[in-house]
Amino acid sequence: MSRILTMSRAGREALDWEMERRDDIFCLGEDIYKFGGIFGTMDGFGAKYGPERVISTPISETGFIGMAAGAAMAGMHPVIDLAYIDFIGVCYNVLLNTASKTHYMSGGAVKVPMTLLIGTGGGYNNAAQHSQCLHATVAHIPGAKVVYPSNAHDAKGMLHTALRDENFVIFLTHKGTAGVGWMGTPIKTTLSEVPDEPYTVPFGQVKVYREGSDVTITGLGMSVHESLKAADELAKEGISAEVVDLRSLVPLDRDGIFASVAKTGRLVVTDEDYLSYGVSGEVIASVVERDPTILKKPPIRVTTPDIPIPFARPMEQSILPLAGRIADAARKQMA
Amino acid sequence: MALTAELRRSFYEKMALSRAFDDAMIALYWEGKLPIFSFGAGPLPGELHCSNGAEPVGAGVCGALGPDDMLTADHRPHHVAVCRGVDLDRMSAELLGKKTGLSQGKGGHMHIYDPAVNFASSGIIAEGMAPAAGMALARRLQKRPGVALAFIGEGAANQGAFHETLNIVGVMKLPFIVVVQDNEWGVSTSKAESTAVERNSDRAAGYGMAGEFVATNDPDDIYLAAERAVARARNGEGGTILELKTARLAGHFMGDQQGYIPEQMKQADPIPLYRAKLIRDGVLSEAEADAMQSAATERMAKAMQFAKDSPYPDAAEAFDHVFAGGSGAFDQHKAEARA
Amino acid sequence: MSTPVVIPADLWDEDDKTGSIVLWLYADGASVKQGDLIAEVLVEKVTLELESPATGTLRIQVEPEVVVNKGDTVAVIE
Repeated sequence: MSRILTMSRAGREALDWEMERRDDIFCLGEDIYKFGGIFGTMDGFGAKYGPERVISTPISETGFIGMAAGAAMAGMHPVIDLAYIDFIGVCYNVLLNTASKTHYMSGGAVKVPMTLLIGTGGGYNNAAQHSQCLHATVAHIPGAKVVYPSNAHDAKGMLHTALRDENFVIFLTHKGTAGVGWMGTPIKTTLSEVPDEPYTVPFGQVKVYREGSDVTITGLGMSVHESLKAADELAKEGISAEVVDLRSLVPLDRDGIFASVAKTGRLVVTDEDYLSYGVSGEVIASVVERDPTILKKPPIRVTTPDIPIPFARPMEQSILPLAGRIADAARKQMA
Repeated sequence: MALTAELRRSFYEKMALSRAFDDAMIALYWEGKLPIFSFGAGPLPGELHCSNGAEPVGAGVCGALGPDDMLTADHRPHHVAVCRGVDLDRMSAELLGKKTGLSQGKGGHMHIYDPAVNFASSGIIAEGMAPAAGMALARRLQKRPGVALAFIGEGAANQGAFHETLNIVGVMKLPFIVVVQDNEWGVSTSKAESTAVERNSDRAAGYGMAGEFVATNDPDDIYLAAERAVARARNGEGGTILELKTARLAGHFMGDQQGYIPEQMKQADPIPLYRAKLIRDGVLSEAEADAMQSAATERMAKAMQFAKDSPYPDAAEAFDHVFAGGSGAFDQHKAEARA
Repeated sequence: MSTPVVIPADLWDEDDKTGSIVLWLYADGASVKQGDLIAEVLVEKVTLELESPATGTLRIQVEPEVVVNKGDTVAVIE
């Protein structure tokens, strides 16, 4: 059996399935016991699993994420809800220096299996401190796996994978794709037919969301869906765009990116994170380091520029990598 | 300054104005957001954390301050801003994302800045702590009078920044006050569930500073406690943890159904209580109180009209103010992005 | 025989509030079982769940984003 699910519901199903069967998994985060987490990642878990396994914490990220790392070292698999990625500032040290590096620094003697669920992204007028993506900021840390599903099928499969991984996994979801009841009607392309049964989706493999022959458009999170919209527009003009969802940043499927660009010869990289020093440059490097001659044109990046996210709608909408900007970039590739 | 009748009347006026501000914003908030709720829809988009119930904190504490004092507030800043005298028209316009807003539409409701009255806010919990201590340090280095205050919630007292800042303030005896607004709830988590001691003011002993606790959510009591704290700070006696029991009548943010709040924890509205008290004390007549109420509503209506009539910023203005004074390399980038 | 899918009177508290379907979890014409979660309903900011009252084929009558009231028939199970 399968049903059409939102990412939020699909992810919860994976976590629920694993929690039912494994005593090592417990949940930690602000407002998770009664509220299910700000973005509903653990909705209903308090009632089902009780306060010992679904622990609402004080507003003390350094404390509870550090505790998660310690509990992981002691044989548990904590699942932490950090709501907004903008809040990593107050607990970055644990991510940067403990959760990600302990296995290495111990010469493999110590494992830190933990899953950190974080919401990212803007587009809903929440201004500079609650709208950032910052996935490059976490993907830059050696020793942390970073995944970023963009649809319900991958959300469930990749969360099963994360929960069975022996490492620190940062599991990102763009707030606008999750299908929580605060962001309007769910985006259709985020919804999937999701099987009842558990399944895994491996990390480190791109997903070709839509096949095409003229231009490759890579995206992640929300920008996948904007890219799909752009591809629809381009198709009307006779341009065949291939939309590639990176969906895993660490490990990154450089072969998968290269294979698509080798086919089309043109590359538009979309990313809602800031332009410079980020994933968009990394995607281009994955191609040109291997063989720049496959490119018919210099690649184009469509990202949020290097500015804080403005509050007012006209400003915010103009700086996000939305379908219009993506389609324009693809047209330039074809010109 | 003594707790005069004039001061008490001003508390009522300010509380009424703060409430009028929030009520007007709440009324506007749902416009465009039904039947399908979406944060980004309507004329007042984004999250909205209203101050209903916390007005006595703003009125009482700000009543004890002078123009050189500096304030940082948090994600729920309206009552402090209104009582501090932040420009009401421009603050209203900012919430609507207008060009005439305090931040020209860049900030929104969690990021209210008005240097004219030394007011700043941040949407990150406890983020105002250390910057306020730094403001206190700056005033000392500048040999200027001035106390710095960080307004936080009781939940924020469990952030690392609280401990680190207060220890430094204690060591340096800085003129600093942390106003811990205990509205009993950090989103859905009660103070008892999150905090190992009943009163954060008791933690003051650990930092070598004074602790004050006011249980009444009454601006008179809050004012008197704040005045003592300000006097200590001005006299070089160091900082204070000023913990004030208050109320959160409009939920954590708009749309919070608050199903997690048990019946016995329902909170009282402090404004009618204070009105009755002033009338009982002969400080206000019913007619005067009504007149103050109407004046507040009218003033807010004017501010809202100003906000609604104001234009939105141009999209290209998103690139302004990334750096002060501009920067050559960035200006080129900006021009490219605009093109 | 067909069974209407009705918005229950106790799905949300306040009678004066309206809701809206956010998502059908099954396509029109899909087979559903009694008790299956078939739709999400949003009332202001709260997501509520609608279950199938019968086993059979889902025939959707009300699409997402349309205002619904308590007692409204939004689908039938054939």
